Amino acid sequence: MRVVTGVVGNDIHVVANRLIEISLRDRGFEVFNLGVNTYLEEFIDAVIETDADLLLISSLNGEAEGWSRDLLFHKSRFDLDGVLFAIGGNLSVGEATQEEIVPKYKAYGYDLVFHQIDLNEGLDTIEVALKESI
Amino acid sequence: MNQLQIDIGSTYFKTNDNGKINQYFRNFDISIHQDLVNNCSQILSKYQKEEVSICSSANGGLSTLIIGVTSLFSLKYATNIAFNSGINIIDTILYSKIDEAVAPAETINVVIVVGGIDGVESKFDEKLIAYLKDVNYQNIVYVGNIEGQKFLDENIENLMILQNIIDDKLHIREDELKAYLTNLYQADITGKEDIKELYKFTSNQIYSTPYIVNNALPKLKTLFDVADPFIVIDIGGATTDIHYSTDLVDNKNILTGSGFDRLVFKKLGVFKSRESLVFGAKSNEFVYELLDYLGVNEHILDDSSDKATVTLMQLAIFLVLYQVSNHHNDYVSLKLEILNSIVLTGGVSKVLSDEDIDKIISFFYKKILNYRETPNVITDRNYEIWTLGIEEIHNVSQ
Amino acid sequence: MFQTERNIITRTPYTDSFDFDEIKEFIAGASKNLFISHKFKNSNKILVQPRGGFPTYDKVFELYGEFTNAGVDVLPLTIDSNTRLNDYEMAKKMLALSEENDENMLNGYPLINHGYRTTRKMVTHYDTPISLRHGTPDARLLIEVALASGIFEIEGGPITYLLPYSKNFPLDKAFLYWKYVERVCAEYSELNEPINRESFGPLSATLQPPAIVIVIQLLEMLLSLEEGVKSFSVSFSQTGSMSQDIVSSNVIKKMARKYANKIGCGDADIHLVYHQWMGAFPRDKEFSDSLINTSTVIASMIRADKMITKTRDEAFGIPTKEVNASAVRNTQYTLNMLRGIPSITDEEEEENLTEMVDDIMEAVFNDSADTLWRQVFNSIKSGIIDIPFSPHIINNGEAITVRDKNYNIRFYERGNVPISDKCLAFERSKVDLCGKSLVDHIIDDIGIML
Repeated sequence: MRVVTGVVGNDIHVVANRLIEISLRDRGFEVFNLGVNTYLEEFIDAVIETDADLLLISSLNGEAEGWSRDLLFHKSRFDLDGVLFAIGGNLSVGEATQEEIVPKYKAYGYDLVFHQIDLNEGLDTIEVALKESI
Repeated sequence: MNQLQIDIGSTYFKTNDNGKINQYFRNFDISIHQDLVNNCSQILSKYQKEEVSICSSANGGLSTLIIGVTSLFSLKYATNIAFNSGINIIDTILYSKIDEAVAPAETINVVIVVGGIDGVESKFDEKLIAYLKDVNYQNIVYVGNIEGQKFLDENIENLMILQNIIDDKLHIREDELKAYLTNLYQADITGKEDIKELYKFTSNQIYSTPYIVNNALPKLKTLFDVADPFIVIDIGGATTDIHYSTDLVDNKNILTGSGFDRLVFKKLGVFKSRESLVFGAKSNEFVYELLDYLGVNEHILDDSSDKATVTLMQLAIFLVLYQVSNHHNDYVSLKLEILNSIVLTGGVSKVLSDEDIDKIISFFYKKILNYRETPNVITDRNYEIWTLGIEEIHNVSQ
Repeated sequence: MFQTERNIITRTPYTDSFDFDEIKEFIAGASKNLFISHKFKNSNKILVQPRGGFPTYDKVFELYGEFTNAGVDVLPLTIDSNTRLNDYEMAKKMLALSEENDENMLNGYPLINHGYRTTRKMVTHYDTPISLRHGTPDARLLIEVALASGIFEIEGGPITYLLPYSKNFPLDKAFLYWKYVERVCAEYSELNEPINRESFGPLSATLQPPAIVIVIQLLEMLLSLEEGVKSFSVSFSQTGSMSQDIVSSNVIKKMARKYANKIGCGDADIHLVYHQWMGAFPRDKEFSDSLINTSTVIASMIRADKMITKTRDEAFGIPTKEVNASAVRNTQYTLNMLRGIPSITDEEEEENLTEMVDDIMEAVFNDSADTLWRQVFNSIKSGIIDIPFSPHIINNGEAITVRDKNYNIRFYERGNVPISDKCLAFERSKVDLCGKSLVDHIIDDIGIML
C-alpha cells in the first residue's frame, strides 16, 4: 500500500509529521512524505505520480479549514476513485466537537476525519477502511 | 590561450577575438555561415578549429512539447530542466486533458513524455499514441517510469528512453535529460541546417546561448558589481529570458544545487514578438499609469520610431518583473523584495540609457512592490556575459 | 571585488549608511572586553550566557542591565524572525509598532533596522562580549551590522542555521552566503582580537545522534577556518544522558583538533560550548530547576568553555528578564561548587563514537567535488549526513534514532549514513523497544524530561 502524507499550513510541525511517517512505515506502508507547508495541489499531484492508495493530510492548528474547500474541485481534475482521503490532527481553529467537525470535513470530500484522535487509533481505523475498500 | 568565441543571435552575431568584442547585424538573406564568412573571414583565419567556441540562439532555439501526468511534478520538473538546458519554446500538456488538446501546427524539435515514479503502473496508453499521430516532431524522449517504457517503445518510432526524472522520493533527477537536451544542437535536426554548417568553423560542441549564459552566472561577480541574489534579464528580438538565483523562489519542490534557474517568456520581444508584447502591455492594469509616468501616450505602441522602441523595451522589463512577482502567480514567483542586483543584457543594452532603465525599475519597485529602494542595476553594455559562460564550459571540457 | 560585494550588500535603506573606514578604526581600537575570544583566553571558568532578546533598544538595554547584575559572562543578542528571513520592511513596521505601543511585536531585536551606530552605544556601554543568535541562511547584511556594532561573536552556519528551520531555502546558496560571513569575520580578525564564530550544535533538538552532530560541527568549523577565521566554538546540546555528553565532548574536542590540523589550520583557537537541555521542558518549575542544575554539572564535567542557559519558565513561553537573570545567578552559584571535578569517560563508547565520526568524515572527503562546501552539499543530498527531524527537502530523512535504557541516543536505522555494520550492531545491541511500537518508543524518548 502506498500513502502520500504531509502537513498543511505555515507552521513548522516537523516532529509530528516525521512520527506519522515512521508509524506508517512501521505498519508496512510505502510512504511519500511531502513534509511541512504542503499545498493541496501538491498532495493531489503526488497521489497521481505515485498511484497512492491513501492520502493522509495532517493539520495541527486548524489551518486545513479554509484550504479544504477546494478539495472537491481538485479531485474532479483527475480520476481518483479508489483513493482514500484522510485528514487528522487539530482541525478547528477554536473549540469544536467531533460532531461539528466530522460532517463538515466529509462534505469537503474526505473519507475519514480524525479530530484530536490518538495517532495509533487513527491509523488502525485507516487500515480497516483500506481493507474494506479492496 | 588563443580563443575565438562566437555568439549567433536572432538579430546580431558577436565575436570575441581574444578579448576584443565585435558585433554585426545579421543578414537574413544569406545563411549564417555565409554571413560569418563575409564579415569575419580575417578573424576566422587566425584560429584553429579547436580554438573556436560557438553558441547560438538563432532560429529561436529549440522547441519542445512536454506531455506529463501532473503539473507540479512531471510537467514542472521537465519544464525546469528544459529551460535550464537552453530550450526556448515550451508547451505543456497535462495528460488527463490530452483528449481536448490540439496538436501544435508547427514542427516540434523534441517531445518529452514524463509521468509516474518507478514501481507503479504505466501512466500512458493509446490516447498518447493517437495524439502523437497529429504532431509533427523530430525527436521524442521518454523520461517517465520504467513500467511505461515497453508500451511506448513498441508504439513510437525512434523513441529515446532516459532515466526517470522523478525519483523514488518524488525529487527531481535532471542529469540525463539535461545532457540530452543540451546536446540536441549536436544532433541531426532538420530545419537547423544553418547551425550544422557552423561545425565547419569549430571542433567544439555548439551550445545554445541561454545555456551558456546560465553557466556564466556563478562567476558573474568577476565581470560586474553584482551581489546574490540577482536576476539577469535578457530581452531579445523574439523572446525574453530571465535567469534567477534559486533562493528568490519560495515554496518550491525543486532542489538542484545549480544556483540559478532560467525562465523564458516566448512572446515577449521587441521585434519578432512585438505584437504580443504590445498586447500583453495593453492588458496590464498598470500600463496607462506607466505610460503616463514615462511621459508618452498609448499611440506610441503602434509607432515605429526610436522612441517607440525605447518604450517597448521599458514595457518588456516591466512585464517581465510583473510576471515573476507575487502579483502574477505563474510558473514561479520571485521574492523581488530581497533582490540585490538586476543585470540587463541583450538588445536592451544597446537601446536604453541608464536613465531609461532606472526609471522603469523604480516605477516597478515603488508602484507595484511599494518599496522605497530599488536594487542595484547593471547593464551589460558590451554584451559580454556569454563570453564568461563559454569560457566556463570550455574550461570544464578541457 | 569582495569589497564591492560588501558595498552592494550594505547599501540598503533599512540600515544606516556604512562607513567602512570608521568601522575598521572602531574594531581596531575596541575594548578587549568585547571579544569573547579574548575572554576565553583569560578566563579559568565556564562562561555563562543566557538567551533572550526584545524588539526595542530600551528593553534590550534593561535586559542587559539585569543580566549584568546577575553576573553574566556573555550577553546574547537574539534577532527577530522577520530579519532572519531578510524581510526588513516588515521588521521595520513591527519595530515601529513595538515602540509606539510598548508591546513586543517581534520575537527579537531587529538589528538591521536599529543600525550599528545606535546598537554600538549599548554594546560599548556594557563592555561585555555579545553573541549574535539568529538562524538566518543569508546573514550577510546582518553580520556586517553586528560586527560594526561591536558584536564579536557570530553564531550559526550554513547547515546548522538552515536544515533545522527551512524547507526550501537552497543549501548551495546558504554555503556561499556563509562563506561571505567567514571572510568578513576573518578580515576583521586581523585588526584586534579574533572574531569568534560558533556553530549551532543542537540542530533540530530532537534525538540528534552525536555522530551526526559532531560531523556537522567539524565541517562547519573547517569551512570557517579555511576562510581564515582564527577562533571557533563547536557546540552540542545536552542529550539526556550524562554519559553520552561526556563521551561526545571527548570525541568532539579530539576530532576538532585533528581535522583543524589536517587542513593546516592548527593555529586556530577551538572552544567547546554546551547548551542546557533544548528539548521539551517540564511544566513543574522545581523539575526545571533540577534539570538546569544537572546541565550545569554536566557542563563542568565536560569542561565546556561556555554554557548557554535555560530558565525554569521554559515550558511557558518567553521568560521575563527577572527570571532569565535569576537563571544566570543560579547557574553561576552551582558552577562555583564544581571546581576541580575529576574527568571520567567510557572508553568503549568513545571508541565507537570516534569510529562513526571518522567513517562519515571520510565519506564526505571522498566525494569527488573540488571544494569542501560542495562535498558537504553532496553528502547531505545523498544522505551521508542525515539529520533526524529536519524539515528541509534536501535532508534524506532515513536515519532513525531511539534512546537506550540509559537514555543514550542510538542509531536504530542508519539510512545512507556510512557507519560500519560493526558500529550499527553496537548501537542496536543497546536498544530494547520493550515490546512497544517504534513510534511509541520515540514519543517517550522525545518527552523524557516532561
